[in-house]
Amino acid sequence: MTELLTRPAAAQDRPARFRPSAAGWLLRLVVWAAIAYLVLIVPLGRPALELQDFARAACYAIVAISLNVLLGYVGQISLGHAAFVGIGAFMSAYMVTVQGQAFWIGVLAAAAIGGAQALVLGGVSLRIRGLYFALVTLSYGLVAGDNIFQIESFTGGGAGQQAPKPQGFESEWRYYYLCLAFLAIVLYVDWRMMRTKSGRALLALRENPRVASTFGINVRMATLFAFVVSGVFAGLAGALLAHNDLSVSATTWNFNLSLVFVIMTVVGGLRSRPGLVIGGAFFALTPYIIEKIPGFDDLLVKIPAPFDLTPETARLVIGPLLLLITLIQFPGGIGQQIRPITRWLAGHRFDIHDKGPKEVQITDVRA
Amino acid sequence: MLALVRQRAGLATGIGIVAALVIALFVAGEERALVIGVYTGSAYGLVALGLVLIYKSSGVFNFAAGEFGGVALCTLYLLHSEGIPYGFAVVGGLVAAMVLGLLTEQIVVRPLFEAPRVTLLVATAGVALLAIAIQIWFFDSQGRPIAKAFPTTDRVTVLSVQISDQRLWLIGTVLVLAVVLGLFFTRTNLGLAIIGASQEPTATELVGISVRRLSTFTWVLAALLGGLAAVIAIPDGGSFTPGVMTSGYLIPAFTAAVLGGMTSLPGAFVGGVLVGIVQSFATNASIFQDGGALDIPGTPSTLLVFIVLLVVLVIRPQGLLGRSS
Repeated sequence: MTELLTRPAAAQDRPARFRPSAAGWLLRLVVWAAIAYLVLIVPLGRPALELQDFARAACYAIVAISLNVLLGYVGQISLGHAAFVGIGAFMSAYMVTVQGQAFWIGVLAAAAIGGAQALVLGGVSLRIRGLYFALVTLSYGLVAGDNIFQIESFTGGGAGQQAPKPQGFESEWRYYYLCLAFLAIVLYVDWRMMRTKSGRALLALRENPRVASTFGINVRMATLFAFVVSGVFAGLAGALLAHNDLSVSATTWNFNLSLVFVIMTVVGGLRSRPGLVIGGAFFALTPYIIEKIPGFDDLLVKIPAPFDLTPETARLVIGPLLLLITLIQFPGGIGQQIRPITRWLAGHRFDIHDKGPKEVQITDVRA
Repeated sequence: MLALVRQRAGLATGIGIVAALVIALFVAGEERALVIGVYTGSAYGLVALGLVLIYKSSGVFNFAAGEFGGVALCTLYLLHSEGIPYGFAVVGGLVAAMVLGLLTEQIVVRPLFEAPRVTLLVATAGVALLAIAIQIWFFDSQGRPIAKAFPTTDRVTVLSVQISDQRLWLIGTVLVLAVVLGLFFTRTNLGLAIIGASQEPTATELVGISVRRLSTFTWVLAALLGGLAAVIAIPDGGSFTPGVMTSGYLIPAFTAAVLGGMTSLPGAFVGGVLVGIVQSFATNASIFQDGGALDIPGTPSTLLVFIVLLVVLVIRPQGLLGRSS
């Protein structure tokens, strides 16, 4: 009798961990191979200009991951992320063109300055609560566009700055693979980071900062840490984007782009890496997709004026529409919708009702 | 006496800052900035009123406030170019703004009532973007000319700045509205109900007041304010472009609201005027131009407004006239 009370839980008491059958493994392998084929091999057959778009998609995915650290892990919003990415882009271009450094130094410098400005901005804003912080980032984004990017010695003024591709990676497909490699590194770092103590501290922070601090989590340090990581990723993405386009100009990095970044992160799905990658790629490739869908162009033209849509306008309308639909109906974004598939691919049972961890909605204290 | 000063610290600081600013401007020979600042700041103040209204009642930063006005402008332009008299076109524009406010409240704000405020911020930003996109869809992104309501341009000249009828109306409207709304929230039952609903929705429902109806009313009122701001302020410049309210007015309006205190309606007007003066000073003062002592690359006003925002948020987060929560 007492034996029952004191015996520690034996292995046979717990439900057996799900292991896919041989057929299951094989099927998963086939799907993985198909995805790899789609991402790695198919683009090689496309013209060089399209490869530029694909490389841009990979860079946007990095930006989505960067913004997710702030928005998804810490719960702070940055409405000026285009500034972070843009300054990284200019920094890399400056280092390579004006200072004559190698591409890798440029990338390093871009990541460093991304982290540095995040550190400064984060440090200043530590006392500023959620909504007000959004305003500060928004204002900072405007300052970057109106003031920082106008510094002629740094940005080349109206003409912009040149940013040649690195040696050995001049061809478009090689640069595309390079961007993919960086994306893989960023994904890995993000994954590892969230498995550390600091990473878990961040998640606790998002749920409830006060309770988190009672557990001994240094709220300020954890938030600053998240900022810096976000900034480093953003700077890196900026550098890659700069060399992808072969030149950087100030007009690209505006408030509109910051909003596109926020939209693609939210629509992609916060805290879901596959979702973020898809979200980033989708928004980078929207004009490409619209042009490539057979017949879409004709459809748009057939709509009578003034309702006729150009691909540009369609893109402008679809973005916010998707954002609103996501926020109101599907808060987890694309990532939540494809979660049964991504979980299956990771070796779990296919569960169509899997909606991810139940989000505890704590109505936060008003800012 | 000291207790009185401490109580009214915000007001005292505000008066002190304004006095210092006025003296500094006269000394620097930039007193024109004072006048220009007052009427450009009034436009910011009017938009800021709508922002403060929404914040007081739902705790949301309403990023669609600019486009409430943008829609009003668009409708005004459409109706006027179809031959409808200006006055009716203005009314039509205001109605359109209110409709957008209603739609936003029903479709976006209601479902997200319990959601974190950051989510609502992003959602209202989405509404603004969608409104701009729809305008560009129908009109393309060119600027369109828009007529003024009151063509007289030289009614008054203060400190060598011409003040047109349009501008006088702008300043007057904002002043009146700021006072009226301030009284509304402190003296009328409806206003107090709105404040109560924002603090204790359950208790408000228990007393028999419909929180849902109050929310609808507030958003429609805020949309009306936004519409008014656009309809009075933009024609002064002679033309409008889709998105002009958001790109040109929303950030200064937010800065104005923060400066005045996000919970203070008169503060919105004061904040607006201050932001207007800072902007005007930054744009015209010679020390900021190329070759001046403090040459700021690009547009100096953006940097200065940013600095003002940071300083206020770090030093006095509740703004000049707000109450610290």
